[in-house]
Amino acid sequence: MSTLVEELAAICGAQSVSDKLVDRICHTRDCGPTPGGIPAVVVRPRTTQQVSEIVKFANRVKTPIFIWGRSTTFIGHGIREGCILMALDLMNKIEKMDFDNQVVTVGTGAIWHAVDVELGKHGWELAAPGPGGLFVCTMGGSIAYNAVPHGLLEYGMTGDGVVTLEVVLPNGEIIYTGSMGNRAAGGLSFERYANGPDLAGLFIGSCGVFGVITKVSFKINRKPEEECFAFYGFDRLDIAVDAAHALQRRQVPTHLVGLFGGPKPTGVAGDAFLHIVIRDSATCAGERLAAAHAICSGLNGIRHDESATEKYWVNHMYSWLRNTPPEVYYSDRPYTCPEAAMFMPTQKVKDAICYLNNYEKEHAEEFSRYGIRIKAYDVYFSRNAAFLWIDTLYPELDPEAWKYGVKMRADYSAHLFREFASPGGILAPLAPHIMPKLEGGFEFLKFLKNQMDPNHILNPGVLMLGDHQ
Amino acid sequence: MSRKQRSIDRVKDMVYQCNRCAHCFDLSWLGEWNKCPAYRYGTFESYTGRGRFFIARALVDGVMDYDADIAARVFACTECRACAEHCFKYLRTTDIYAAMKEDLAERGLVPPKLAAGLADEGGLGQYHNVYQAPHAERLAWLPERARVDKPADVVFFVGCTSAYARQNMALDTYNLLEKFGVDFTVLSDEWCCGHPYLAAGETDKARASIEHNLEAIKKVGATQMVFNCPGCQRAFRDDWRQLAGQPAPFVAQHVIELLADWVTRGKIGVQRFRPKTIVTYHDPCVLGRWMGIYDAPRDLITAIPGLSLVEMPRHRRDAYCCGAGGMIRYDFEEMANLAGAERIAEAGSVGAEIMLSACPACVMQLQQSRQRAKSRMKVMDITELLERQLVPLIKGGFA
Repeated sequence: MSTLVEELAAICGAQSVSDKLVDRICHTRDCGPTPGGIPAVVVRPRTTQQVSEIVKFANRVKTPIFIWGRSTTFIGHGIREGCILMALDLMNKIEKMDFDNQVVTVGTGAIWHAVDVELGKHGWELAAPGPGGLFVCTMGGSIAYNAVPHGLLEYGMTGDGVVTLEVVLPNGEIIYTGSMGNRAAGGLSFERYANGPDLAGLFIGSCGVFGVITKVSFKINRKPEEECFAFYGFDRLDIAVDAAHALQRRQVPTHLVGLFGGPKPTGVAGDAFLHIVIRDSATCAGERLAAAHAICSGLNGIRHDESATEKYWVNHMYSWLRNTPPEVYYSDRPYTCPEAAMFMPTQKVKDAICYLNNYEKEHAEEFSRYGIRIKAYDVYFSRNAAFLWIDTLYPELDPEAWKYGVKMRADYSAHLFREFASPGGILAPLAPHIMPKLEGGFEFLKFLKNQMDPNHILNPGVLMLGDHQ
Repeated sequence: MSRKQRSIDRVKDMVYQCNRCAHCFDLSWLGEWNKCPAYRYGTFESYTGRGRFFIARALVDGVMDYDADIAARVFACTECRACAEHCFKYLRTTDIYAAMKEDLAERGLVPPKLAAGLADEGGLGQYHNVYQAPHAERLAWLPERARVDKPADVVFFVGCTSAYARQNMALDTYNLLEKFGVDFTVLSDEWCCGHPYLAAGETDKARASIEHNLEAIKKVGATQMVFNCPGCQRAFRDDWRQLAGQPAPFVAQHVIELLADWVTRGKIGVQRFRPKTIVTYHDPCVLGRWMGIYDAPRDLITAIPGLSLVEMPRHRRDAYCCGAGGMIRYDFEEMANLAGAERIAEAGSVGAEIMLSACPACVMQLQQSRQRAKSRMKVMDITELLERQLVPLIKGGFA
């Protein structure tokens, strides 16, 4: 037994540590195309104190830790060979459903939708319905990545729902953000912006480089009385974007999705499409739906059967955005998606789609040679902007196609980040395309990382921070 | 053996199709429920579907080679197919596990107790049943031998568990068929259906076992097979098709499929169950997820006045494996007990007084789990219930 295993077993118990290759191999990569290194050991703490002890130990032996929730992004985790892989799946308890203060407190490894379902039994729900991987992603992981959730327009980003966090810093110290920070007053979770600076903000979207989120208090809401849906097709992309912009400015939808590339929805007319979800009281939902119809039909939108929208929303299956059952849509294989996704001003969506279409035309020969497909150019609209998913597919069995798929993502990212776009979540493969562009902001983040994590222990390199290599 | 000959390489395409989404881990749409008994037991991701695909890809890519650790992860699978049921890419995950099992068996890496249980000497190969009981006693439960090996339209394939370990189930099924005038026979030289061999990666032996039974069935001229064991039914209905490349020349039905059809068509009478009782139904993985038979048992239960069917949180395609599958009890007894205890507790949580199932292996496992849990809930096979509650309507037999 290696020293690493012995020391970690002393902290967490032998049953929570493994250096068997059969266990380590399962923690090398996320859903994305980029393979990572094989960890030296996998450790699964059950308590915040154990996380703290592991981090202190890693500092002593100068071995980096990579943090693992469920690893379900499509970007690339960036795990390094020989690291300590700290999986947080055992810290998954729902600790408190506090309906008085409209907050739920959970262990970092709790699964997003499982928490939502438990709240639903009481007529409540998480303030954000969760990101694309809501059935499987962890609360802590989604917050650390600041994933883009369903309901983005009305509910905001995942991080907007955070009330307080418990975090283990890179030196092993445990801190609490917001109202939970006032330990003398019992460390209650009810307000993010209590006690001065928004410390939670440092850990949201920073992918664990500044600390390990071990506990989350998140906003909860009463389930709305009514959900209603609309689905429109438009003859032209620019008109569809204008319609989305109008819907945004009047704050009509709870959730607004645009389909601007990839396969068209089955059996409906149009070249660009909008799915509209509205959640509200019975009275207000009807008024908002009427406004949505007025805006879309006023721009010559073609109204389609909204049951596709409803199925998408209720089942959380993207296939229904294209009016296609999941068993048809997802069994098309064996393709992998080197995803790139980014925010941009709403009107810039037109330019972005134009660029992507031109890219496809200019590279038609390579697309054909490597079997590249466009899965989707879909947009989740936020309160005032757009979040574009560029989902391409390459055949995973062909190493040359893999290289081309990764290059294609790099091309998109380099161009669009230079022109008008900025990514939401950043992980290792995207970091080189954005971090240097942040100039002083990047320097400040490097300063923070070096001060907080001088041994470069937590997720080194993931944001081009703490990178010895 | 060269790498080109490995079974895992034959399914390389599917190995590469896993997108590692983790939908095979749990049942978040129901709340905080386990989905995979092996993951619940082993707790590391290597015990999940995604984990096995990681391992499979490492094997295909030459990063790993088969060893005892891999064997422990693969043979801990109960073959409940819960991972496949919610696979985001609709992958036949169990095909990958089957390929890995074949390779492990080829390398002598089948876990020791399972290997001994299926051995040619002193095991299944010698006795033709998984209980190492004398082959001559396979029909010891029969009240009389008039139906043995007689020409008939239907063969009642008894199966090892009914024949040796839960003989009341064999008798209940026999009586049901007789009660409703079915022209049926039972085979004196019935062998194990081959299902345990498949669970151990011994494909050739499974094929030989099924072939033996098919020959015996041909001799009596039957066109239909009736089972009370979903594992046996699957061997003839689905596994043989995969092994031989063509379907077996018989209709292979579970007895509850027949009975449900007759009940819903009003050809069978139903007696009131007294006193009023709350029952729940455990979906056997093979009957449900493997063969898609969910409605027949429920149609029968709900047709019986006096019974109130209450579903467990995990039911139909989300049903939790009882721990009897995949022959895991041989080498993973603790895991089997853990799964059984969890299922009994779940049935108790919905207030069930009787827990029904439609599989001798599940019923035996759940009865043992109930005893360990000291639960007052009764566990019984649905054929026992039906044998009591169903009555003929048409005098002189069934049309």
